[in-house]
Amino acid sequence: MQETSPPPHQPNVPAVAPPAPSPSAPIGADEVALLIDDRPVVAKKGTTVLQAAENAGVLVPHYCYHPGLSIAGNCRMCLVEIEKMPKLQIACATPVAQGMAVRTGNDRVRDARAGIQEFLLINHPLDCPICDQAGECRLQAYEAAYGLGYSRFHEEKVHFPKRYDIGGKVVFDAERCIRCTRCIRFCDEVSQSHELALFQRGDHAIIGTFPGRPLDNPYSGCTVDVCPVGALTWKPFRFKARVWFLKNVPSVCVGCARGCNVDVATFRNRIHRLTPRANVDVNRYWMCDAGRQSYSPLYERPRFERPILRGGPGAVGPEEDTSSMDTGSLWDLALDRSADLLRGVAKAHGPKALAAIVSARLTVEDLYLAKRVLGELLGVPRMAVPPHEEGEDDHLLVRRDKTPNARGASALGIGAPSAGRVKEILEDAAAGNVRGLVVVGEDLTEFPGFSEALFQKLDVLVVIDWWQSPTADRAQVALPACGYGEFEGTVVNFQERVQRLRVGLDPRGEADPTWRILRDLGRRFGLPSEYATSRAVFDDVAAKVPAFAGLSYRALGDRGAPMPAGAARDAGASPPGA
Amino acid sequence: MAFEPVLTRNIHRPDSGTIEGYLAAGGYQGLRRALKEFSPGQLVEEVKNSGLRGRGGAGFPTGMKWGFLPKTRDKPRYLCVNADESEPGTFKDRLLIEKDPHLVLEGIILSAYAIESSLAFFYIRGEFHEGYRIFQKAVQEARAKGFLGTNILGSGFSLDIIIYRGAGAYICGEETALLESLEGKRGYPRIKPPFPAIVGLYGCPTIINNVETLANVTLIAERGAAWYASIGRPPKNTGPKLFCLSGHVKRPGVFEAPLGVPFLELLNEHAGGMQHSDRPLKAAVPGGSSMKILPASKCDVLMDFDALAAAGTSLGSAGGIVMDTSTCMVTALLNVARFYAHESCGQCTPCREGTGWFVKILSRLERGDGRPEDVGLLTGIASNIEGNTVCPFGEAIAWPVESYVRVFREEFEEHAKRKACPMKTTAVR
Repeated sequence: MQETSPPPHQPNVPAVAPPAPSPSAPIGADEVALLIDDRPVVAKKGTTVLQAAENAGVLVPHYCYHPGLSIAGNCRMCLVEIEKMPKLQIACATPVAQGMAVRTGNDRVRDARAGIQEFLLINHPLDCPICDQAGECRLQAYEAAYGLGYSRFHEEKVHFPKRYDIGGKVVFDAERCIRCTRCIRFCDEVSQSHELALFQRGDHAIIGTFPGRPLDNPYSGCTVDVCPVGALTWKPFRFKARVWFLKNVPSVCVGCARGCNVDVATFRNRIHRLTPRANVDVNRYWMCDAGRQSYSPLYERPRFERPILRGGPGAVGPEEDTSSMDTGSLWDLALDRSADLLRGVAKAHGPKALAAIVSARLTVEDLYLAKRVLGELLGVPRMAVPPHEEGEDDHLLVRRDKTPNARGASALGIGAPSAGRVKEILEDAAAGNVRGLVVVGEDLTEFPGFSEALFQKLDVLVVIDWWQSPTADRAQVALPACGYGEFEGTVVNFQERVQRLRVGLDPRGEADPTWRILRDLGRRFGLPSEYATSRAVFDDVAAKVPAFAGLSYRALGDRGAPMPAGAARDAGASPPGA
Repeated sequence: MAFEPVLTRNIHRPDSGTIEGYLAAGGYQGLRRALKEFSPGQLVEEVKNSGLRGRGGAGFPTGMKWGFLPKTRDKPRYLCVNADESEPGTFKDRLLIEKDPHLVLEGIILSAYAIESSLAFFYIRGEFHEGYRIFQKAVQEARAKGFLGTNILGSGFSLDIIIYRGAGAYICGEETALLESLEGKRGYPRIKPPFPAIVGLYGCPTIINNVETLANVTLIAERGAAWYASIGRPPKNTGPKLFCLSGHVKRPGVFEAPLGVPFLELLNEHAGGMQHSDRPLKAAVPGGSSMKILPASKCDVLMDFDALAAAGTSLGSAGGIVMDTSTCMVTALLNVARFYAHESCGQCTPCREGTGWFVKILSRLERGDGRPEDVGLLTGIASNIEGNTVCPFGEAIAWPVESYVRVFREEFEEHAKRKACPMKTTAVR
């Protein structure tokens, strides 16, 4: 059975229905044939009616059912009529059977749904104008599709705590809660942290925590995702944007080597939230809280919007005033300067005096061009990738390796992240043996082996980074790269799955994607005029690097694809799952 | 042939409740006989042949229920005794537990033997302090005499009993909520299927039987299926039955009669008739508060599963509630609704939200704040609940609301129209 992502929130816009199997189509031994709204459907045994209907393009509305959680059967929204059964049945808990005839939208079913909607709304505050969930709320969507459209309730509503700080970054509004228990089941079954439970009975039943044990687990944000209504909200997103203004771009979290599939939600050229996008092969329906906030450095660290030039060749001086220059000329000057400086070091001291430190946070496209331009054309003999490790792999998603593309670096032959190789370069630089250093996407001051003396000893330091790091502050040429969400490309997760990052934001200032900066620098060393797009870069990678053979942006789609089996090995690659 | 009370035969003995008294009255003979003469399968057949139907409320044939156990034996089987009697108007199990615990215990041992279970759970309502103490003593006595424990009466059959006290929730009388509670969880009814006979306590095949049902098994083992099946209205309504009568009667209590006894006979002969001679019968609920109400004109019915079903209500737990003409039906229904709103477990939407809504509407009607549309709204809500909930609790509130309003619609409408209770303004009494 194929697990699908939670259905879209607009129930009246069904997914495109696959063609119905012809009645004569053979049925496998593990399959059954049934009718859903008079349409013949073949489903695997053990599938529920709800899943079979969804696979056939028929959306059965539901609140408590979630494909990643156990079946609770409490919301009763998915009641359907099944021939020969006197009562309506909940589609979420009814397995398909041979010859079953299901009706998901006749008058009886619609009446029941309208009744459930009415029950859910009688004690609901109807505070949609100030609710963050408005626009992606199932109560709203289903009321529009199935509700009476008016209220028969003239009583005082049951009142509950509102704006309750239930723990971490999650705020609870108990009046909006429909007691579907998805959040409880998430904490019991997925995060396995068991903070949440139901208390009280009847219409006074309320989700809560135990004394002294607030909601506090590395995946607490998923309770907000699974909440089908506005009861649980994510503090960093509260009142930040109306969701109908958000543009969701399918991308990948770069917070660790898992590469959780995410939707990057942007509004007015700003990321407002990351939410997990279902991918059963990578992150199922979840992501960690750290990943959820992994875009925040974009708004916390200093950016630089134009290339920065300092001093003349051979000495790091004060920042040059380039304010009178137009952007094109400044970029040309900065790239020419970089090329000249690096060439000068090679000429004076031989290519052995050059080194590069490139980041495993860069994309496959970035790293491929770094290897081609710096390694092959400029002849930099030593290229190191710093590791970024923290904590341990956990039971669910979080990886110790905090870089999204270490496997990509290995597969490209740059080598696995190695603290030792970085340290060697830094020490050689401090000792005066390395005279020219290119740093892409890393801050040297973070690393063991770093000493301030290094900056004094280096003749040339060229930095490409998305933020104005302490290292960029000491570079003769600092080239502004695009930050997360501003560029596209691919990364290879720890499972050796290649996944696409996509663009949701315009670049900040005159920042350029790293791969393009490297391409333009490469042209100064004779790189042929190709690589118009990152897609073109990736096509070249796929053509030349066996680990990527047969892959293309189109083949990767929204959910990525594994590297060809066995192809990802190079000398530096560690085995998958390590 | 005069009816001989058998379920209540020991309750008036001075030594009732003690094992000595029980043995002196011929107790545990059925067990002796069954262990010797019947294989477990034969005992199941015997119970099937007796026609015994469950006394907890649904009236499901007991032998057939036992037959639903899977044939495979890869997991232990459990017998759970539902002693969580909590239906308003019902107090028959309590009588058996307190006055003749060994009759129940013998039935438990027999039933466990029949379903080949070596561990039984006695889930007793938390408020039954006295019953708990008495039953605990009975278990100790039986164990001392060799009726419980290993190799019972040399038969090779072993059984132990765990007594578990509920914490006081009506819903825990629902068999799957009972199992959840027994497992130490919130008393939430489970989604069915799977039924407990397949996946029950701790995931194992489990039979849940009512206290009175099990007491009947003792009688069947003692006197045989043919004797049992001759009582009542065979073939489908056999055996003796305990009927509770409460409300506006002279002598409320538990009365034993054959299934199919006329309601009016119970009322007039057993319960001594109406409490006040000048206030005739207005309505009665024959089966406990969750069942549908009958107006006085329809109370000439036989008290068994099928006759009451034909009359549009149910035998339920046989907790008859009698109301005379002084009763305001809005108040009576409000009383019922308050109970169910309080006891709704809150798991599923229709029951959680609907029960509280009923209370609010009925409270308004009762205090003279009703609107004409409230009457139709009540039945509308009831029909949105009925059949759409996880467990039968939905019907337990939908049925009274639907039936009270249907039968006494004018009275409800009068409340809304006069903005007051007509009973109070027209001085019926």
